[in-house]
Amino acid sequence: MHSTNKLKETIYAPDSMRRLGIVRVWLVMWRELWAARELVFRLFYRDVSVRYRQSILGYVWAVLPQIVTISIFAFLASRRVFPMGETPIPYVAFALWNLSIWQLFSSCLIGSTTSLVRAGSLVTKINFPKQTLVISSIGQALFDFAIRLFPVSVVFVWYGIVPPWQALAIPLILIPMVLMALGMGFIFSIANLIIRDISNALGMVLTFGMFLAPILYPPPIREPFILVNTINPFSPLLIATQDLLSSGEILNVEPLIGATLFAFGMFFLGSYVFYVTLPRIVERA
Amino acid sequence: MSDTLITVENVSKKFCKSLKSSMVNGVKDAIYETLQLPGKNDALRKDEFWAIQDVSFEVKHGECLGIIGPNGAGKSTLLKMLNGIILPDKGKITIRGKVGALIEVGAGFHPMLTGRENVYINGAILGLSKKEIDRKFDDIVSFAELEDFIDMPVKHYSSGMYVRLGFAIAVQMEPDILILDEVLAVGDIRFRANCFNAIHGIMKKTAVILVSHSMPQISRICSGVMVLNKGIPCYCGSDVTRGIDEYHSLSATPSISLIAGSGKATIHDIQLESDGRYDSDTIAYPGSLSILLDVTVDPSVRFFGIGIAFLGPDLQPVAHCHSAFHGGQFTNTGRRMRIVVNINSLSLNPGIYSVNVGIQADKLGEILIRHINCKTIRVTGDFCGFAPVQLQGAWLTEDYLSTHRRQLAAYP
Repeated sequence: MHSTNKLKETIYAPDSMRRLGIVRVWLVMWRELWAARELVFRLFYRDVSVRYRQSILGYVWAVLPQIVTISIFAFLASRRVFPMGETPIPYVAFALWNLSIWQLFSSCLIGSTTSLVRAGSLVTKINFPKQTLVISSIGQALFDFAIRLFPVSVVFVWYGIVPPWQALAIPLILIPMVLMALGMGFIFSIANLIIRDISNALGMVLTFGMFLAPILYPPPIREPFILVNTINPFSPLLIATQDLLSSGEILNVEPLIGATLFAFGMFFLGSYVFYVTLPRIVERA
Repeated sequence: MSDTLITVENVSKKFCKSLKSSMVNGVKDAIYETLQLPGKNDALRKDEFWAIQDVSFEVKHGECLGIIGPNGAGKSTLLKMLNGIILPDKGKITIRGKVGALIEVGAGFHPMLTGRENVYINGAILGLSKKEIDRKFDDIVSFAELEDFIDMPVKHYSSGMYVRLGFAIAVQMEPDILILDEVLAVGDIRFRANCFNAIHGIMKKTAVILVSHSMPQISRICSGVMVLNKGIPCYCGSDVTRGIDEYHSLSATPSISLIAGSGKATIHDIQLESDGRYDSDTIAYPGSLSILLDVTVDPSVRFFGIGIAFLGPDLQPVAHCHSAFHGGQFTNTGRRMRIVVNINSLSLNPGIYSVNVGIQADKLGEILIRHINCKTIRVTGDFCGFAPVQLQGAWLTEDYLSTHRRQLAAYP
């Protein structure tokens, strides 16, 4: 006889989420995610393999925009079109590195924000841990970043720049950066399901936001630009990678600690909001 | 030990009619949930309505509950709540075991990927590991009958192929509870037959919930039925035929009657008579039915025939009575003619039928006039089968046969 005693019991009620309590929400959420780790990988693999499937150049598209950007920068720098100020490493390499980091952050943020809307009927018609959609969307950004490192390293070799050994610590800086993007992405993806302005606005804000961090210009030495870069939680992380890449010494530790704490806080808040509000939002999606 | 797998207690769900209010309420709800405050779930706000109201039922394993109702009755909403995609606003749903649901065909299929890749991704979405899918892959493909197309991108699949693949995955994941939303309608007859067998096969250890508009389907596989109308359950129980009857009375047959044809004939009046009662639309199974017609046919037509068709609730013809079939045609007098047709025992299954009357030149020639849906009849009876016609048979036992053998042999 088939026994029903060992079956897992699930209860759906209006207060299902509230009854979990704040701490257990995280536990349940990450347990679900761990159980679905294979799905995360499959979704990531799906996105990457589908992206260039109906195209002739295929994966070349992952590096081509980068190569075009380099050429433009190299041209502008050689003609001294705009005065750049002193950069710790040659300007082309400097700008290219920053741009890669910025693209990692912004494509993580855009990818996670649009992940639920892109999934379409998957969100509204199937019950499965939907945090996997957001997490796996990061994979695409990381994958692109890894590919972009290739033209970046070519440029570094070209200029004969040898980064100090401390540069190996850069991934430690990238972790809070990605988590910060994810945390924001968790909240934005939910909001984007009912208010589509979010993804539109995000593209605009990111274009503008690029100029609030020392990406195309060296870290500021004058107020109020220093203030802007201290408040912007992305800047300290970016500057830290620049420091590690050039001198190997992080000059301003306090903003870095602040930004890291902010990133982790954002990540925990975002994932929590995502999990508890999802069922309420899905019904309106 | 209770073997109830699904318990639904007084569940209600509200939806919002306006997109704007929905956005505002959505943000409010999200804030309430984030702050762990009890929201105002049980009262209607502006522009809101109850899509599901006070629904309760239980499904044990080995049972199949059919959910029927007109469009917009809340069937899919109910299924989404059972599957945990959305939460109820009132009440409580208790689910025991693994749920396999097919709410939308091909949800989760990526058009650019091949059938094979989609099986793995969809399987992973439904919670299967790669090993499990490897083991079941061949069964899935052979059940879906897609051996030749499994490496083709699914964007080139036909809608039937989509359903077959989706259903095959859902069934093969061996769920404790299987939820099917009107998905079988797309497949061809052969696949539908396979589905029935598959559902019967897994029903022993599974509770099945099925939404369908096909009543033969419902009466064939369901052990119980719930009729929903505008979110309110009007019948819930194990008497499937009663439920189907209830459903038919809800979805009132289209009241529009049409007149078509070349116009060379006019039907002035149509009257029904059953067992001595005039102009009654109710016939007790297997009662008699007489149809009285008052017609004028254009003098240019010398001979004509009359056909009467009975249509089921889904407007499928279920029975036909044509003069050409039983003794010929009428000779046109050129004047107004009264014609009566007697049907001795109308052996239609209890239910609601609409009547079409048509006049044709000669035997089956030009259609002179056709009154579509001119009358609605209601056949009543204690018994209700699942086929539209219930033939009247004489049932004999073995004892009877041995004593009356000689008489039986006398039959031609």
